[in-house]
Amino acid sequence: MIKIEHLRKEYENATPLKDVSVEINDGDVISIIGPSGTGKSTLMRCINRLDTPTSGKIWVNGVDVTDPATDLSIVRRKMGMVFQAFNLFEHLTVIENIMFAPVELLGKSKQEAADRAMELLEMVGLADKYFNYPDELSGGQKQRIAIARTLAMDPDIILFDEPTSALDPTMVGEVQSVIRDLSQTGKTLIIVTHEMNFARAICNRVFYMDEGGIYEDGTPEQIFDYPQKENTRRFIKKLKILEIDINTPDYNAIEVFEKLDDYCNKNNVIPATGKKMRLVFEETVGLIMKDAYDIPDSVDVKSHIEYSAASDSVTMTFDYAGPERNVLEDGDEISLNIIRSKVTEMSYEKTDDKDFSNRLVLTIKE
Amino acid sequence: MKNRIFKKWLLALTAVIMLSQALSICAASATGDSIPKGEFSSLADLKNSRIGIPTGSSFGDMVQQKLPDAKTSWYNNQTDLLIALDTDKIDAFPADEPVMRYIMGENDMLTYVPEYLDTFEFAYGFPKNQKGQALCEQFNEYLVKLRDDGTLLTMEEKWFGSDESQKEIPDISALPGTNGKLVMASDATYMPFEYVRGDEIVGYDVDIAIGFCEEYGYGLEIKNMSLDAVLPAVQSGKCDFAGSGLTITPERAESVLFSDPNYSGGVVLGVRKDASEMAGGAGFFEGIKSSFEKTFIRESRYKLFIEGIVNTLLITVLSVIFGTALGFAVYMMCRKNNPVARAITGFCLWLVQGMPMVVLLMILYYIVFASFAISGVAVAVIGFTLTFGAAVFGMLETGVGAISHGQYEAAWALGFTENRTFFKIILPQALPLVMPSYKSQIVDLTKATAIVGYIAVQDLTKMGDIVRSRTYEAFFPLIAVTVIYFVLEALIGIFVSKIEVNIDTKSRKKENILKGVSINDKD
Repeated sequence: MIKIEHLRKEYENATPLKDVSVEINDGDVISIIGPSGTGKSTLMRCINRLDTPTSGKIWVNGVDVTDPATDLSIVRRKMGMVFQAFNLFEHLTVIENIMFAPVELLGKSKQEAADRAMELLEMVGLADKYFNYPDELSGGQKQRIAIARTLAMDPDIILFDEPTSALDPTMVGEVQSVIRDLSQTGKTLIIVTHEMNFARAICNRVFYMDEGGIYEDGTPEQIFDYPQKENTRRFIKKLKILEIDINTPDYNAIEVFEKLDDYCNKNNVIPATGKKMRLVFEETVGLIMKDAYDIPDSVDVKSHIEYSAASDSVTMTFDYAGPERNVLEDGDEISLNIIRSKVTEMSYEKTDDKDFSNRLVLTIKE
Repeated sequence: MKNRIFKKWLLALTAVIMLSQALSICAASATGDSIPKGEFSSLADLKNSRIGIPTGSSFGDMVQQKLPDAKTSWYNNQTDLLIALDTDKIDAFPADEPVMRYIMGENDMLTYVPEYLDTFEFAYGFPKNQKGQALCEQFNEYLVKLRDDGTLLTMEEKWFGSDESQKEIPDISALPGTNGKLVMASDATYMPFEYVRGDEIVGYDVDIAIGFCEEYGYGLEIKNMSLDAVLPAVQSGKCDFAGSGLTITPERAESVLFSDPNYSGGVVLGVRKDASEMAGGAGFFEGIKSSFEKTFIRESRYKLFIEGIVNTLLITVLSVIFGTALGFAVYMMCRKNNPVARAITGFCLWLVQGMPMVVLLMILYYIVFASFAISGVAVAVIGFTLTFGAAVFGMLETGVGAISHGQYEAAWALGFTENRTFFKIILPQALPLVMPSYKSQIVDLTKATAIVGYIAVQDLTKMGDIVRSRTYEAFFPLIAVTVIYFVLEALIGIFVSKIEVNIDTKSRKKENILKGVSINDKD
């Protein structure tokens, strides 16, 4: 059990944690979400004392880790950490990375440690890589090895600091599935993550962090579907809904695509759908920005993208200014064909909004 | 660009060949009293010429006074002056007449202007303290006796003559030493006043010094060092007196106490012989053969080289070992950013790295350890340990600094303590990074030790100089020394590479990585 009382952490020019008090029970699987700079990682790093709190107390399994007399190295043996940047020992092979701490710290025999390492490698699906060096592995593979290295110490608690943030979208799944398996073992897991569906699937608790502390603490259903407090609601909406405003035909398409990819990651949208979203977005904005004579024209466009996990579909809404004009009818045939081939439903309507009187709704189903 | 470098090399090579030929001609013709005609025949001819001057000598002022319009440049020793003259870098160089005559005997292209640039008096130098005063008085007493009974004249005839077999010297180790042992500072590259023959230092000055010690019941030890180090050695009390063909000048008299003059003579200017006087050259291979014989075989001079190599290696190896330990220890103290340790280290680094190595060594030898009975080799090891330690410290800082902080955090999070993390995780990754610069530092150090001649250590370079001052062969000993340095560096390089393989975990042999462990690989 982890107990935190009045934890405060100040840096020279910021105070991410003002006053945090919370209890984490054995077997809790917790995901920590929240805007950047709200102390999600700091909270975790204070628990295993990679960061030193300014004030307050933290007990881990009854041991006061804020007491200077505590031998942290003993506490840390039972509390693993998985880093965003993997931090594998670059000079050692995969199997040595996993064996090193048990041999050095727990006094296990090399054979014993190697047998356990092979078991763990089997578990994360990388048994054939045991003799490789970390620089020969992909990001996803490195992170799975890092998890195996942590598990080799047989910890009761594992801290995950944005374990998939540094990964290519294609590799997120393999790491998530390893963590998903772990969540069934009864270990206490604390994960900083933005992937809502992932969190929903494995967590029993979610901390939304804001305003220098744990702003809202609840079940995934409460936090993601029925947030109680204002900031949480706003954040979840932002997580669920992506809004992009465009007002020129020369808009930065790359930036827009990054936003779309990021949104897909957070919401666990499969890459194939993500690809369709990019194409549809680009072509639709192209249609709106061309007048009847095919001359590029600046039109204000507000787009609104929302993924629904329940129906596995993405709805893209485009509100645009100007006189009444249904681009689905007068638009360029080639563009329209592309859009038609990607979407399952599309419709146009005229609205009462005097600034954005046209609305286009497109739905993509996985 | 490439072409120019190539041309330079070609020129240098030609010079080497020509010189070894020129120098190989044994000077059979006795110089007698008639002096061969030179390119310049009077001091007036040399009015606007280029004149080379040996560092640490008192010739500079003389040339300045007599030939104010001449261009002067400074050289380390007479052998260098001789090369400079031969390669037309200078037109003349000064030397005492007996010395010039000796060099002429060894070198066929040389003659001198039969006009004294100045007359001078040689004397012995003593420290300006009570002990030095007393010793100086004793010495003067002895000189009077020598002059009165005609011994001094006999000695001059013996040493300034050309018959080497006459130049016997009493056994220095047979001196009684009942009144203690005296240490004499001398630059034994000054034929015929003091020079190295076989493994002993002999010469006119040495002969007198031995006679003096015998008479007054002293033992004697001669410390061979560069001329610019001789006076500081006496001044600092490292040596009891100096016998090194020292010309009496008012400036020098300010720092040391001079005895009565033991020799007076004239300074002459050596010039190239007139073309009409030059003899024909010998064959190229005979030249090399004779150079080799002179440099290594005659008087068992190879023994000097071996001694030099031993000293060079000793200083290098000990400095590397101690320097590595020192650098490491200091790094460990500074590692946790202790501000006091940092400040002290920063200051010492600034001091050691900013100072030319020669200056550092001389300060250590003549000031810091002036009153300790400590050998030059030990001081050299201390000096080079300091600089090598500074280099090791710097290397560790960059090497360890290159390891990302994530590696520390990963180790801490697994439960490694601060120290274990450093030694088990960080250092094994940092060391392979610094090995290349460590290796080149060692090679640099080997070369840098070439200056220890300044503090009376006879290393490889100094031994080369000693041999050169006997043979008056310019290039052969230099090239021999260079080749030996290359061999030493190569050997050291091989040795260090051996270590490198063992500390880089990534170059381990696959079968050694998991020795004694069987992997249950299901694939």
